[in-house]
Amino acid sequence: MSDASPIASLRRQFDEALGAATSEREIQAVRDRFLGRRSGLITALFAGLDQASPEARRETGRLINGLKRHVETALDARHEALSAVRPVASPVDVTLPGRRPASGHRHPLTVTRERIEGIFARWGYEILDGPETEDDWHCFEALNMPPEHPARDMQDTLYLERPFSRVAPAVEGPRMPPVGLPATLLRTHTSAMQIRYMERHDPPIRIIAPGRVYRRDNLDVTHTPMFQQVEGLVVGRGVTMGDLKGTIVAFLRELFGPKTNAVFRPSFFPYTEPSADVFATCHKCRGEGCAMCKRTGFIEVLGCGMVHPAVYEAVGYPPGVYTGFAFGMGIERLALIDYGVDDIRLFYENDLRFLEQFPV
Amino acid sequence: MRILVSWLRDFVDVTVPVKDLAWDLNLCGFEVASLEPIPAAGGPEDAVLDFEITANRPDCLSVLGIAREAATRYQLPLKAPAAPPLRGSEDALDGLTVTIEDAQACPRYTAAIADVQVAPSPPWLARRLEAAGVRPINNVVDVTNYVLIETGHPLHAFDLARLGGAELRIRRALAGERLTTLDGQNRILSSEMLVIADATRPQALGGLMGGADSEVRSDTTAIALESAYFQALPVRRTSKHLGLSTEASYRFERGADIDAPLRALARACHLIEQVGAGRVRDNWIDAYPGQRPRTVVGLSVRAAGRFLGREVPAADVDRILASLGFAIDARGDDHRRVTVPTWRADVTREVDLYEEIARHDGYDRLPLTFPAVVQAPAAPARRLEVERAAKRLAARAGFSEAVTFTFIEREAAAVFADATQLVAIANPLSESFAVLRPSLLSGLIDALGHNRRRERRDVQLYETGTRFLVDRGETRGLGLAWLGAAAGEHWSGTGRPVDFFDMKGAVEAVCEGLGLGAAETVPAERPWLVEGRAAEIRVATGDAPATVAVLGQLHPRVAEARGLPATEPVYVAEVDLDALDPCISPGEDTTVRPLPRHPSIVRDLSIVVPDGLPASALRDTIRRSGPPTLAGAREFARYQGRGVPEGLVSLSFRLTFRAADRTLTDSEVQQAVDTVLAALTAAHGARLR
Repeated sequence: MSDASPIASLRRQFDEALGAATSEREIQAVRDRFLGRRSGLITALFAGLDQASPEARRETGRLINGLKRHVETALDARHEALSAVRPVASPVDVTLPGRRPASGHRHPLTVTRERIEGIFARWGYEILDGPETEDDWHCFEALNMPPEHPARDMQDTLYLERPFSRVAPAVEGPRMPPVGLPATLLRTHTSAMQIRYMERHDPPIRIIAPGRVYRRDNLDVTHTPMFQQVEGLVVGRGVTMGDLKGTIVAFLRELFGPKTNAVFRPSFFPYTEPSADVFATCHKCRGEGCAMCKRTGFIEVLGCGMVHPAVYEAVGYPPGVYTGFAFGMGIERLALIDYGVDDIRLFYENDLRFLEQFPV
Repeated sequence: MRILVSWLRDFVDVTVPVKDLAWDLNLCGFEVASLEPIPAAGGPEDAVLDFEITANRPDCLSVLGIAREAATRYQLPLKAPAAPPLRGSEDALDGLTVTIEDAQACPRYTAAIADVQVAPSPPWLARRLEAAGVRPINNVVDVTNYVLIETGHPLHAFDLARLGGAELRIRRALAGERLTTLDGQNRILSSEMLVIADATRPQALGGLMGGADSEVRSDTTAIALESAYFQALPVRRTSKHLGLSTEASYRFERGADIDAPLRALARACHLIEQVGAGRVRDNWIDAYPGQRPRTVVGLSVRAAGRFLGREVPAADVDRILASLGFAIDARGDDHRRVTVPTWRADVTREVDLYEEIARHDGYDRLPLTFPAVVQAPAAPARRLEVERAAKRLAARAGFSEAVTFTFIEREAAAVFADATQLVAIANPLSESFAVLRPSLLSGLIDALGHNRRRERRDVQLYETGTRFLVDRGETRGLGLAWLGAAAGEHWSGTGRPVDFFDMKGAVEAVCEGLGLGAAETVPAERPWLVEGRAAEIRVATGDAPATVAVLGQLHPRVAEARGLPATEPVYVAEVDLDALDPCISPGEDTTVRPLPRHPSIVRDLSIVVPDGLPASALRDTIRRSGPPTLAGAREFARYQGRGVPEGLVSLSFRLTFRAADRTLTDSEVQQAVDTVLAALTAAHGARLR
């Protein structure tokens, strides 16, 4: 057993040497010292075997081979561990700011609009595009607002100096040819799209029409001469006012959270009967009452109603066959509520300090 | 409409707290703008409720109208205002004749005469008027206002002694006739306006305002009391024309009650005597040339239930409608013939009755259901999809989204379009909103300035939206504007200012992201862009090539005019999304090409060519002269300076060769490069560097 002890001692020596080695160079030195072809300590042990008896040679040889495997494995492991952390250059200050790929921010009105569109798209609503300049027929008359109707005062209109022909595509569809009227005004509401769509399509109808609308209002904290609306229209057989309520409540819960409640107050729009203003649980105080909701716990969010029979008459639907509902909401209003913005003008200043607060 | 709750209680015994009353009426469709508590001396709680009355409910511009709603809401009886019948008989009034010359505009005119002693009103009446927001004047005028607030029907009192000829003619004004109205304005009338005239001249604007000459004053001893029905449209036209809106006109133009005049007259006569303002003479006038038929509407209770989604019991339907003043002729459980009260001109169809039923049955009791989808929904409008994708791509290129006004100053618009192409607004709010934008750039340039003035050095903004030009109509575009450094400020960077190729890259990224394939960029000229730093992107279409985008450096003159520094480059671009639309194929159409199975060989070719020769020309020559194995050619360096003679430029192309079926040999690639070089030399005088 006298031969075993130098092997064990050599193993200890190796472990110590490797433990002290901290660089690639030092590891190589350890490798050379133990495994070197000419003067390696383990190589020398193999050489010493020549003088031993065949029996001892076998036993010692096994022990030396065991040591050699241990040394090789340990050296390789250490080499790998070291190369994984090996510095390739001078160290960096990791606390310095990184280089961000350039990415802009969407406007909050777009974020809100796309959320609204996403909800209705999921419910099978077709999303429509339409002209921003309109004729009197689509904006008012077909919506049960004949000339000099007092309801026209509700939406003070911006008129065009001269009639304007839009080349841009309006709604396409299988019904009536387009009413080729030149535009004379800026649309005061996206409700005009109800008419454009119904003129071209028979029920069932399930659409929303987002877009810019215009009113003759001076810009201040709560008013703007331009804003965005989303109009919705569902027409078919047997569509009920309960369907309107269910749709609106489901929508508000998606938009403002599942605990949102809604109050429907009878209202008046010439193109719906019955009509309602809808109030949602105040987003800010959760119905407790705060400055935003004037201590009522509710905040007005949209207008809606059952489509007025006069509208069906205007687009040439047979009387008494279809029922349906329409709703309209201001995107600015919903965004103001959603983001706690207290001055509508912020939406149009395009100050990056404001825009950068919204998602990329 | 300010309603004093204690006044309301004259007609309906409302016992609920005022706060509850306000909320309940709110849920019946009468928005309460404010609730002002009034100190009540001992009696029940009092307050003024200020209602926003919708345009379809002129009947509720009155205490009585709101009382009727409250009575229906709480299932209480409605008491009518005390008004004993007028004494004497109709159309036998001494001392005044009434002639309706325009029965269209004034279908009914009633009048009575009272001998009066003008004095202040008793305090209770004055207080009620004040609570309603009406200034007390004298007992006679106050009574007419009291009846207006109470019943909603406007009245007018003339000083009888000042009416020339003791007659009233309801006629159109003569063009140029003058009338000084009660507000002291001397008004020149037109022949469209309805006046109440005496034998010689106008004494009142029918349905709007009385005249100053026949105003009731302290020395008035007899009055002619007018209670008439004026048609909505003429009142409205006159009101608009004169810019004069009064309590009376506000009600008449929304539709009055054809049966109200006589009731209101009787009520006023009763009050004149009750408050001691005078004594009403016997007899009255009721000029009502063509009796109007009552509106009768058919109603199916079951159809109402199907429409609302809730079956309201027939008994409730009948109760609600009767309480609101509708007369019901019931035929079994379902069918009814409903006679509409004269004060409800808004009810003409069966759905109008559905609303009445739903309002008082309660919108809150309607179920929450969801309409069935009965056919596959169509895809969203493609134009919106393209716009939405453009927004995403612009943001990915580092631009934040702006929303600017569609209407802009004429001067700002004139930079981008000929004056004859601008679409102008006839009634703009101000000169800064005078015309519809011909380009998205004007708004973006102003937004750059806004940010720069707020100490923001680097600004990248985009906007999508509609542009308006007379010849092209409405088109949709994407505008991009870039001021400051090319890359966001970073400690490692140079802060190199934005240049043409930054913007070109952004535009290319957007267009390619939208699915644009082959396109060429060519020099362009635009008055708002710096010459030599302006380009347009063109796509070959069936006929003429389509310009899908314009980009370049904003002319310093334009930048400066909008408050931007003239010395700093501003780059702008505008993509015409409508022009681009037919040229793009969305990614869904992609068919995958197999990946190359053999290695490619790359050769760099540096040549010297005359400066000013477009790189695209060289690229075309390379592509044309190269073998089919030439898989790509890209500029990778451009150099002018030492070693390159004046007027020349060194351009380096990286050529990639690859065959689908084998590995190319060096010699065949060398041969191809030689061929390309020869072609470049022949076509452009290029020589190897």
